[in-house]
Amino acid sequence: MMATLSDLKISEVKLSGKEAGKWGMVIDQDICTGCQACVAACAMENNISFVGEEDAGYGRSMHWIRIERFWEGEYPEVKMTPNQPMMCQQCGQAPCEPVCPAFATVHSMAEELNLQVYNRCVGTRYCANNCPYQVRSFNWRDYERPEPLPNQLNPDVTVRRRGIMEKCTFCIQRIHRAQDQAKAEGREVVDGEFTTACAQACPASAITFGRTDDPASLVSQLMKRRSHGVKHLEELGTLPNVTYFKGG
Amino acid sequence: MIKTFFDWLKQPMGMIAVGIAFLVLFSVAAFGLYQTQQAPEQPIQFPHKTHVAFGIQCLYCHPGASKGPSAGIPTQEKCWACHNQIQKTQTSALLAPLKDAVIGNTPIQWVPVAIVPDFVQFNHRAHIAAGRNCEECHGDLTQMTIYENPQVMNMGWCLNCHVEAAGEDQEKLIKLSDCGTCHY
Amino acid sequence: MSEQFSRRDFLKLAGLGAATTAVLTGCGPASRYVKREPYMEMPEYTATGQSTYYATTCRECAAGCGLVVRTHQGRAIKTEGNANHPLNLGKTCARGQASLQGLYNPDRVTDPIKAGSPLPMDWDAAIQVVADALKNNKPEEVAFLMGMAPDHLFDLVSDLAKETGMNAPIRFGALGMFEARATLSQAAGNLFGEAGLPYFDVGGAQVVLSFGANFLETWLSPVSYTRGFTGLREAQTKQRGTLVQFEARMSATGGKADEWIPLRPGTEALVALAIGKLAAEIKGGAMPRAFAGVDVLDAASKSGIKLETLEHIAGMFANSAGALAIPGGAALGQSNGLEVAEAVLALNALADNFGKPGGMSISALAPDQTEYHRPASAKEMQDFIQKMAGGKFKVLFVHGVNPFFELPNSLGFHSASKNVAQLISFSTFRDETAREANYVFPDHHGLEAWGYQRVATGAMQPVLSGAQPVVSPFYNTRATADVMIAAAQLAGGSFAQALPYADEVEFLQTKVASLLGEADGSFSAPNPQTFMAYFQQYGGWWRNMDGRVAPSASGALNRSIKGDMAEFAGEGEFFFIPFVSPTLAEAGANKPWLQELPDPTTTVMWNTWLEMNPETAHELHIENDDVVRVVSDAGALELPVYVYPAIRPDTVAMPFGQGHTAYGRYAEGRGVNPNDLLGQHFNEAGDLAFAGMKVKIEKTGKKRPLSRLESIMGVYGEGLGEEH
Repeated sequence: MMATLSDLKISEVKLSGKEAGKWGMVIDQDICTGCQACVAACAMENNISFVGEEDAGYGRSMHWIRIERFWEGEYPEVKMTPNQPMMCQQCGQAPCEPVCPAFATVHSMAEELNLQVYNRCVGTRYCANNCPYQVRSFNWRDYERPEPLPNQLNPDVTVRRRGIMEKCTFCIQRIHRAQDQAKAEGREVVDGEFTTACAQACPASAITFGRTDDPASLVSQLMKRRSHGVKHLEELGTLPNVTYFKGG
Repeated sequence: MIKTFFDWLKQPMGMIAVGIAFLVLFSVAAFGLYQTQQAPEQPIQFPHKTHVAFGIQCLYCHPGASKGPSAGIPTQEKCWACHNQIQKTQTSALLAPLKDAVIGNTPIQWVPVAIVPDFVQFNHRAHIAAGRNCEECHGDLTQMTIYENPQVMNMGWCLNCHVEAAGEDQEKLIKLSDCGTCHY
Repeated sequence: MSEQFSRRDFLKLAGLGAATTAVLTGCGPASRYVKREPYMEMPEYTATGQSTYYATTCRECAAGCGLVVRTHQGRAIKTEGNANHPLNLGKTCARGQASLQGLYNPDRVTDPIKAGSPLPMDWDAAIQVVADALKNNKPEEVAFLMGMAPDHLFDLVSDLAKETGMNAPIRFGALGMFEARATLSQAAGNLFGEAGLPYFDVGGAQVVLSFGANFLETWLSPVSYTRGFTGLREAQTKQRGTLVQFEARMSATGGKADEWIPLRPGTEALVALAIGKLAAEIKGGAMPRAFAGVDVLDAASKSGIKLETLEHIAGMFANSAGALAIPGGAALGQSNGLEVAEAVLALNALADNFGKPGGMSISALAPDQTEYHRPASAKEMQDFIQKMAGGKFKVLFVHGVNPFFELPNSLGFHSASKNVAQLISFSTFRDETAREANYVFPDHHGLEAWGYQRVATGAMQPVLSGAQPVVSPFYNTRATADVMIAAAQLAGGSFAQALPYADEVEFLQTKVASLLGEADGSFSAPNPQTFMAYFQQYGGWWRNMDGRVAPSASGALNRSIKGDMAEFAGEGEFFFIPFVSPTLAEAGANKPWLQELPDPTTTVMWNTWLEMNPETAHELHIENDDVVRVVSDAGALELPVYVYPAIRPDTVAMPFGQGHTAYGRYAEGRGVNPNDLLGQHFNEAGDLAFAGMKVKIEKTGKKRPLSRLESIMGVYGEGLGEEH
């Protein structure tokens, strides 16, 4: 049943899955200044632990979103490539999902997101090994939050403990809150009514979040208006839901 | 030393000893399990049935249930609004903790019973909006003194109800059986 | 037999044990471990399980961005930008996001403290101490040193000083020092006859030449300038704008530039004038006096920029309808910083962009202000410190600034403070100043506090940004304004007359009520109480008008501007550029998540590093993480090297923000402070010539690995390869 990736051309992969996911993000690298506001906002919203200097040095920092920058050329013709915020791409066909022996990383049929179910996770880290974007982070320890720091924890998000894999959720708690509110008021969720923590904080407005299956939404409009959007590692057939605009 | 011990275990007396050890272990486990299923000690022996019998609606004391995720425990102010007009409050030994708490301005330390683990994001409002009644999950409080869960609140129990509620509606079933509906 | 009781049996037994434990603990309701305390009285606007949102003003820097803080059952859990606030339009920077880690920081000052006493004081005794300090000393023996925020407290102390003849409070902040605010405003004064903070409409511009201005990081009002940058690149109505950055070390702002020009430090004025001359030639007409004296070839050779490059940039600048030039950062922190500022502002005069979209103007003054009040320059701080050292002050009150950390060692604040009999700190955190102080009377954290902040620049409108407590104080702290009011009442006489208020809120209401009759405001109200309520609800008050002033272009081009190169102090062979860490700035080091944010350019976390060109490092046989000794004529520091591809080979750079010897567990003993290398050198406007030092580099043979996000990305990323 499963064809190997080399057997499939991108178009076939696209046909086999759904073309557009439900939620998507557009990131404009031309205006991203790398200021880290999104990283801080994400950490504050999602109760992400800080790990300290030593663990950070081992690459164990828990950022759900990081800003990549690369160098091109040598001095004096050196150039910093456009900053590239990288988070879970919420793949339509996610490489992390089939490798989880505990079914802890599963695809949400309802929201079309990749879920990480913390109570199922047993910490095999297969998913992180198989993630081509390297966006999953693992709780190597029970990282300390001395009192009274826990006061700022967001009650809408589970606090993870040692041995659990975690990653960007597209702020699913905000999705649910908005849906719940809309339902209580007897209406549909309006585009722009809520957004993810990173997009809300971004001083450059480089991140836009919304429904990609709604042609009227701002993300769909942006993707349509500007044709040069790139989806990273699309050739792997992962059907990522984050579109990057690289240059001006 | 270990070798002689294992040799002895294979003798009839040894077998019996192993059997007894297992029985003891099992009893301890069973007792422990029993203990965990008992209603916890509460600071006040709160009689839900008496309050329900007065015709007080659930949402009067737990208004959060219709507005958001948490039903909430009523403030002492709310308790006192009624109780300071009731003669018995001044005399009853059972109500002394309430009186002390209000006079001493110290919070009553309730032990929540109907709670789910941290990794479950439960929202009361959605359930009330879907037309569920309180007693469907929390049992018949006209019969209860101190609150006890009428059943083990585990995921199987949640899902059974979710699947039932979805019925033939595929879209609803997807939404209601989605991991991300409760776990994030 | 014993060997058969091996792994398998052990696992069986262990499994049984685990199963028993699971049965005992796992199956039961978790309730046994939880206690819940309901509110005794539900506060107004609070409902079970519901979040409440409060508008206030960010206090992480002096810019004055509006915040909306999500609170849940009395706890602040998330800060967001206030979408209606004209300065930041709903956006925040990383420091604003992390301000909750200051509020709930484990190393706050919890009670009023007397140095040397193990027990905390009570507030009545503390207020008595302040009252005695005011009353028992001559007015001129009492000094206040205050930070750049909050403004309401500065106003309160100014009122007190005015009434009683005390020294007017002096304001200082390391950010202001590195922004060279005094230079900017004096240059504007020299050129346009009116001192003020220039405002650069980056968003409307087409070609932006930035001379060292790190406006996307910490400079003046980074959130508002970042929005401007988005406008430069993205505006629907015009072409994508170009940013050209002139600086010796690529900053995060320089990283976003379309062209990064690594000029020799100290030649910024020369280059600006040369570009002006070339552009004026292209534009035709008489050569303005400002640019007439410069020799373009000489400028090119001295700065190390190719003539073609200068010509090409001048061409872009001259031919663009929206040309803009910004001076800032290290370019101003040199001996000729004032000339740099004047030369660059003159470029704007040449572009004739004053007051136009995409041009330069003088920032809107806050609604209740008639002139711009800048913080003290380093030179003025030096005078202040000399007075301290001379025993002129018996009492020094310090609020909102950490002079023991923020001022360069060479200015001698530390030793001068020994000659002040009583040092009273109002610090919220256990910082260096609190450690040295005789008394610490902790103020609330900014999110627990009342107040207002004037938006000095960044917004089009005149804005008075309002602050209110979003949560009740967590510790036994007290608002400094309340302490001052109570102490003044206790001291009696002119002190009591100066502050005739019941408390801070009444003071605020009195001040804010002066805006009550204004017609063109964001809201109006029938009486002061209602006005104050709206002021809290909306997070401030602003005029619905463009408050920026177009300077007169006439005189700006007719002054001759000297195009000298800057002078550098010290014998070393490397130019030394200290820059403000974009993530930590001056006061972020005690917030663990700010420490764990990777620096935008180097991706280093939790430490200080020295940036060095790969070529230089190769010549000196230095590799990444090698500890070197940096020696200037003011001091020496040891720190690890980060080999940085985008810095001149003759320059080294170091971030400012770490190197605390106090300030809590996350800051203390971490990294070094580049201020220790800075000598007493100033530019003509009195700002510190912080980029005017030359340093020597000595190898130590030690290694100290830096934690970096790059090259060890991901969970298994170690050795992922240097190509990342």
